[in-house]
Amino acid sequence: MGKRKFLEPYAFAFPSFILTMVLGIYPILWAIHYMFYDYKGYGEKLFVGLANFGRLWRDDLFWNAVGNTLIYAGGKIAITIPLSLVLAVILNRKIPGRNLLRAIYFMPTVISTAVISVVFFIIFNSYNGLLNQFLQKFGLLSGSVEWLGPKYAMLTVIIVAIWGAIGNYMLLFLAGLQSIPEDLYESASIDGANAAQKFWYVTVPLLGPVMQMIILLAITVSLKGYESIMVLTEGGPIGKTDVMFLYVYKLLFPVSTGSVFIQEIGYGSAVGFATAIIVGLITCFYFVISRRMNKIY
Amino acid sequence: MKRSMAVLWLSALLIFVLSACSSDKSNEQKNESGSSPVSSEKQKENGQDKSAASSGKKTKLTYWTFDRHDVEFIQETVDRYNATNQDNIQVEVKSMAENYAQSVDIAFASEQSPDILRPNQDTMIPFMKKNYLEPLDPYLTDEMKQKFGPTFQDQVNRFDGKIYSLPNFGYTLRLVYNQELFEKAGIEKPPTSLAELVADAKKITDVGKANGQYGFALNFKSPKSALDRSAREILQLSGYDGFGFDERMGKFDFTPYKAVIEAFKQMKDDGSMLPGVESLDIDPLRAQFAEGKIGMYLSYSAEPGVYSSQFPAKIKWAAALAPTITGEIKGASGFANSGQWLAISSQSKHKDEAWKFLSYMYSDETLQAYHEKGLGLSAVPAIAAKAKSPELNGVEGFLISKYDALWPLPPAVTVEGLNYGDAFLKYILSGGNLDEIVNDLNNRYNSALEKAIASGEVKVTPDPDFDPMKLQGTMLAK
Repeated sequence: MGKRKFLEPYAFAFPSFILTMVLGIYPILWAIHYMFYDYKGYGEKLFVGLANFGRLWRDDLFWNAVGNTLIYAGGKIAITIPLSLVLAVILNRKIPGRNLLRAIYFMPTVISTAVISVVFFIIFNSYNGLLNQFLQKFGLLSGSVEWLGPKYAMLTVIIVAIWGAIGNYMLLFLAGLQSIPEDLYESASIDGANAAQKFWYVTVPLLGPVMQMIILLAITVSLKGYESIMVLTEGGPIGKTDVMFLYVYKLLFPVSTGSVFIQEIGYGSAVGFATAIIVGLITCFYFVISRRMNKIY
Repeated sequence: MKRSMAVLWLSALLIFVLSACSSDKSNEQKNESGSSPVSSEKQKENGQDKSAASSGKKTKLTYWTFDRHDVEFIQETVDRYNATNQDNIQVEVKSMAENYAQSVDIAFASEQSPDILRPNQDTMIPFMKKNYLEPLDPYLTDEMKQKFGPTFQDQVNRFDGKIYSLPNFGYTLRLVYNQELFEKAGIEKPPTSLAELVADAKKITDVGKANGQYGFALNFKSPKSALDRSAREILQLSGYDGFGFDERMGKFDFTPYKAVIEAFKQMKDDGSMLPGVESLDIDPLRAQFAEGKIGMYLSYSAEPGVYSSQFPAKIKWAAALAPTITGEIKGASGFANSGQWLAISSQSKHKDEAWKFLSYMYSDETLQAYHEKGLGLSAVPAIAAKAKSPELNGVEGFLISKYDALWPLPPAVTVEGLNYGDAFLKYILSGGNLDEIVNDLNNRYNSALEKAIASGEVKVTPDPDFDPMKLQGTMLAK
């Protein structure tokens, strides 16, 4: 019986351990191995030591992608988190049709990113986009704005990302809000607190742990996000929306252009490793800061 | 509860282990269809090839293709072959729309490759480097060598003197134009020089802008793809390689691009290009052309098919030879993606039977029917010369002429930094010093070339006598 008790947790953990090893650890080790090689997916792999990292250091395209990722993730998080919190607070009240509204706001989360991006292309494109037509119809615009041009493409992809993420975070905030005891609000009311004060002095502090988790999630998801950008702009025009993971994707799975194309598995693995380190460092930085804030608070 | 859960997991594990152990057997059963030569051999050894015995020992071949546009024709052709061949061969076609190359990789890794493969311009070299293909030389008759001889090209279908695939169809490159907008703008004929192209684009925009009609467009969402279907044929007809490679010197030289890029920039600056070209993919571009919003663009001969089914054109349109830099033709427009069609897997245990099937697919009847049904312009000169014109609106302008030819394939190199498509688009959108951009491209591409030569990855032999004019008439005399 004692032996069985001892083995039980291992038996439960075994399937996920196997899956993690095969689908998680093995590909990582594979990529780590190849980042020291010049390998194009066929033929001999050529050991190049740290040459791929030397190339990475002087690769303007990579650093441009790093900068774009920070703008993209920063813009998305800065707007999504407060907006989804406000939405969650509103939809936590007993207003008519709140369940329907919750479902509507959550819907983008379950729709395919590719489909969302195609719809947004129809809205934002310059030659017959709905947004330009709408603005022109109401006299707010005389010409057409190139929403996917070099000047506004980043703003556009951030808007699409916000639209896609807001419902998801709203739902997580709702779960957090529902765990706050109602009597705290009643006490605050008795003490004469108004709605804003209740929000600031009761809701926000008690949502702290949930918010910490949501922001952590938002940081990692935003830093890794590239799917909608790939469909909308492919990282263009002229690299204005190229983000780190899209850059890695294009190195590992180059798009055919009618001429011969080359996979760069070695360099792509090195860039993938570097992006993982960057995402890890930013996440760790946030984690440390938020823990310190916890202590202060 | 915990106990029953543990029992459940252990049962699942047991099923998993047992199924893994029995995978050979299931593979054998599955591969009675002949998809795995190794396991079917095992079956024969074990005397288990019951299905083969019961079906009169038919040899079953698998044929994997990624082509979607010809699925119906290929299936009908294969069905006819299955019904009529006297060699007891049964071919099964699998059309794999996505991830073809990855599927082939997995099949070869697990020794379950199809007998017949469909390489193309992107996969041929990787397939060769991975030893996936069988040389066809032992099978080629003198008659076939003569028929396909003009299409043999190094690094395309010939490697180290051996032939690994034969062509069927390919794509010509042309200027596609809206005849109604030309008429409206008072333009009598398609432009033959870059100066005319720029001027015509402006004229069309001047008369059409109020209705959202513009003179020119390019699919700059993928800049290299855009230039490879536009600048390419302008340069080739002007006597320069379409990918920036100088065959005479055996080096990259993007200098000839300057005139073309300046013309594209001029059209952008003039406002003659459709707004938003920088985020435009080829299909949205085609959709706008079909709606009559674009005066001209440059593309492959896939367009007639696109405008007859995918985006039925609401306008009168036609295709013409691309303009050249000066108006003078000094070369020939590249006949694209044409060197490969079918190949035999090096892992196939039925290579002789696979060749019999290939002989049928490469027969004059099949190739001619393919061309005449408008599925692709024949890349085989003997077929192109005798086949009737496909019944497809707009195809006339795309038909092979003496100005179409197979250009030598430039070496594939891994370039650090921006590729030429992105570098030139940057100039078109935001300006800069074009000479510096060209110098930078030359330096980076040639440095990548030297590296590739040093590692033995590519071989380059300069051809000081290379004359693009001599390419004219190599596919069709008229």
